[in-house]
Amino acid sequence: MSSILVVAERRDHALADVSYQVLSKGRQLADQARVELLAVVAGSDVNAHAKELARWADRVLTVKSDRLEGLLAEPYQRIIADLIRKRKPGIVLMGHSSFAMDLTPSLSVELGIPLVTDCVDIFWQNGDVLVTRSIYNGKVNATYSFAQSEIVLITGRVGEFSVEEGRRQGQVEEIEFAFEEEFDYKKFEGYLEAEAGGVDITQAEVLVSVGRGIKDKKNLEMAEELARVLGGVVSCSRPIVDYGWLPSERQVGLSGKTVQPKLYLGLGISGAFQHLVGMKGARMTIAINKDAKAPIFNVADYGIVDDLLKVVPALVDKISELKGKTE
Amino acid sequence: MDIVACIKRVPDTSEADIIKISPSQKDIEKDRLVFKINDWDEYVLEAAVQLKEKLGGTLTAVTVGPKDWDEVLRRALAMGADSAIRVDQDVSAEDPYAVAIILEKVIRKLSYALVLFGAQSEDFGSGQLGAMVAEMLGIPHATLVTGLEAEEKKVHVKRELEAGTLQSYTIELPALLTIHTGINQPRYISLGGIRRAMQKELQVMSLSDLDLSLEALTPMVRLEKLELPPKGKQAELITGAPEEAAGQLAKILKDAGIF
Amino acid sequence: MTLTDFKYGDVIHRCFRCGYCKFPINWMDVNNCPAYARFRMETYSCGGRLWLTRAWLDGEIEWSDHLADILYSCTACKNCEVKCPLSFNIDILNMMVAAKGEMVERGEIPSAVKDFLENIQRQGNPYGTSRTKRGDWMEGTGIEEYQGQEFLYYVGCVGSYDTRGQQTARVLGKVLQKAGVSFGVLGNDENCDGNEVKNLGEETLFEMLAEENVAQFRGLGVQKVVTLSPHSYNAIKNDYPGFNGDFDVLHYTQLLQGLIRNGGLDVSGGYNATVTYHDPCFLGRWNEEYDAPRAVLRAIPGVRLIEMARNRNGALCCGGGGGNFYIDLLGGSEDSPARRRVREACETGANILAVACPNCLTMLEDAVKAEGLEDKLAVKDIAEIVGEACGIK
Repeated sequence: MSSILVVAERRDHALADVSYQVLSKGRQLADQARVELLAVVAGSDVNAHAKELARWADRVLTVKSDRLEGLLAEPYQRIIADLIRKRKPGIVLMGHSSFAMDLTPSLSVELGIPLVTDCVDIFWQNGDVLVTRSIYNGKVNATYSFAQSEIVLITGRVGEFSVEEGRRQGQVEEIEFAFEEEFDYKKFEGYLEAEAGGVDITQAEVLVSVGRGIKDKKNLEMAEELARVLGGVVSCSRPIVDYGWLPSERQVGLSGKTVQPKLYLGLGISGAFQHLVGMKGARMTIAINKDAKAPIFNVADYGIVDDLLKVVPALVDKISELKGKTE
Repeated sequence: MDIVACIKRVPDTSEADIIKISPSQKDIEKDRLVFKINDWDEYVLEAAVQLKEKLGGTLTAVTVGPKDWDEVLRRALAMGADSAIRVDQDVSAEDPYAVAIILEKVIRKLSYALVLFGAQSEDFGSGQLGAMVAEMLGIPHATLVTGLEAEEKKVHVKRELEAGTLQSYTIELPALLTIHTGINQPRYISLGGIRRAMQKELQVMSLSDLDLSLEALTPMVRLEKLELPPKGKQAELITGAPEEAAGQLAKILKDAGIF
Repeated sequence: MTLTDFKYGDVIHRCFRCGYCKFPINWMDVNNCPAYARFRMETYSCGGRLWLTRAWLDGEIEWSDHLADILYSCTACKNCEVKCPLSFNIDILNMMVAAKGEMVERGEIPSAVKDFLENIQRQGNPYGTSRTKRGDWMEGTGIEEYQGQEFLYYVGCVGSYDTRGQQTARVLGKVLQKAGVSFGVLGNDENCDGNEVKNLGEETLFEMLAEENVAQFRGLGVQKVVTLSPHSYNAIKNDYPGFNGDFDVLHYTQLLQGLIRNGGLDVSGGYNATVTYHDPCFLGRWNEEYDAPRAVLRAIPGVRLIEMARNRNGALCCGGGGGNFYIDLLGGSEDSPARRRVREACETGANILAVACPNCLTMLEDAVKAEGLEDKLAVKDIAEIVGEACGIK
């Protein structure tokens, strides 16, 4: 194979975090196989992004187009398919984002190439690329190889690959692309931001969940703060609803809602059976509780045995600090 | 509006300790597992039935699997599907491409304005199948749909991006949508309802009925092995004074892509 | 289904709003209907529900989430049936169950009820926890699987999966062992008894459960059953005969009463406390067993038994019936029946509130915490009290 191509994704005029992640992974794979790392970014204002991508990629391909507003998958598909046909990269890598879910299956069928999505690992073995996926609710790992194929399409799980420092100075190449069709069968009507009020905790990716350990209604504020910096929502266990501190729509558990967030942060929640039943599907669970024997520590990935009233304000500060660094 | 809903049957694997990898390392032991309809597909059926109730037309439920997958079709029939088709072939653990090829053939035999899939499945969760079938059928698609309004010739959909943001599209029919959870509240299907649905038509097709052979389904992706991921039972405790512990935790969250 | 097709279509209007359905044993208060106590609106009383059901089936009002919640807030405690002075009283609960049944058929039920029923269909318990964990409560007790012993000890879903319920199941098992009772359990093979399923209106599912359980019991040669929960007691004793399941069924308090009386169980270790007993609906009003639990308590040295004003067939339901220990439509307020009940228990001066049902145990214990009464009142199952009295740790 001659190259690895990373398809970068833009959101809100910035490169998506997951693009940096798969770019780093791509760099690692390219170094191991001694092949070129290409990156492609398309959109109306791509020059700034190109420079960024060039810190990792040997060559950045930019496609300037006004047709890509609203992240319509079809025009993007035409551009990328054409590029793949011409450059024939051995591996095409993308982050497994919502946009990728719309785009990559169509690419796979159009080009007749294999696609494996949401991979948690990508590695070389005897000159072949293999991938690992997490299946059956994250309980089993499956490793896949590709039957004879010149080109393979892989999407990487968001948050799985760490971002390594990018120190290169890759070349930037502008590409022209002329669309041969209108895409009038699909019209982008706009973006809608999340509604304020009327919270649906089952749709939240991050839940900061409070239990009796919060001790007083006024301490809800710090939970709200934490939720805010994490881009999440406050949920709770039943006693909090019983006390009337939060409405029942926020309750997680047997008589509340079942949630499957990316992150479940339990503050002062003991992890009673009735509560665990509602959040056992969480991808990552973190517990902060004074009681080292609290059952929640049996299901959490990480825990802090300490007074949440002390830890949470410190946590809010540390997170804000780290966020400030990437802005 | 004629609708085709593609659904599947999956094992209930929300409890970790009951999963055992089989000696071949190519499958999990299924005899102690309970099976059910894929979570996303419940929302698909509810959306389809609601559209049918509002706009009329026929609803056909389709699946590709062995005999015990009839169960999910019976459920679809109990919910209001007019007919159901099962292609008798067990390819669900293969490359989704193989399933897509089969489904394309079935759907082409049906009259449809809208084809619905679940956004992904609980077992393998690749989220590819629907969009692949759309490309094969040559119709527009949208994935992760959480809002749907239909008119006679087009649909208005909202699809989910990250961080709670949605995008809104208008798509001309025929089209294919993959439905995300939360779009509606799937109704309960009583056991009595399922029993009564036994009267409705459930057609079984074979690959040859679709002019397909196993060779045509040769997967491009090969399963090498299954294994249990390494995982400790107890939470990893972060020690130190509140400030210190908070700092460590913040880093862990950042590395995990939470923020 | 319309009003004319509804089985009780011609009697459902007969409620003339006398309000007796809300009384305990006399006119002392009108809060003995748990849902009415919680919401204080006629809508949530028995009479209110009947009128709403009539209007819904007749097309006067449309189905809504709120209507479903109103119907499902009924805990099936039977206070209304027992207190209603009219001749149609024997059918009151049946009417509500039939109305819920209609909602079930239409698929229009609260989502918590949907989860409850689907979990039972899949995993044989409302929590949705795997069947393979149903027998976990037995670990380390040495309790045997049923293989023809004298009694089948039927534990039920709450006793098998709820942490507090598991403690009670274990202690009762140990008490039975201590008394030398010949018994065995079904462990992972035990399936839901279906009592709540029936009261939630899923008739076909209940039939399936009853048929399967009867076949299982008969296949194993079961003749006598002792249950942990009054809910199981009710279903197996009263409903299973309709499915060819004729067994001698005892609630565990009835068995213990006999054992203590004939010297098979030594409770001389005693239990020093002022105890008030809460009559569980499915043992009390549903099966008129008010005496056995009291006899057991009185037989224990050190127990000073004191009655709440609302006792026996005037007991206030804990609010956990009709699936509500799970769907919890009556929670979230100091007017919730469980919280009222624990306040009432405290008022007697008792420091122990004794129960004989794992649902009551969870409901009332949570209520004690919500009321902040942990240092005044502890909730204990009678099995736990007996356990301590006969020296079991």
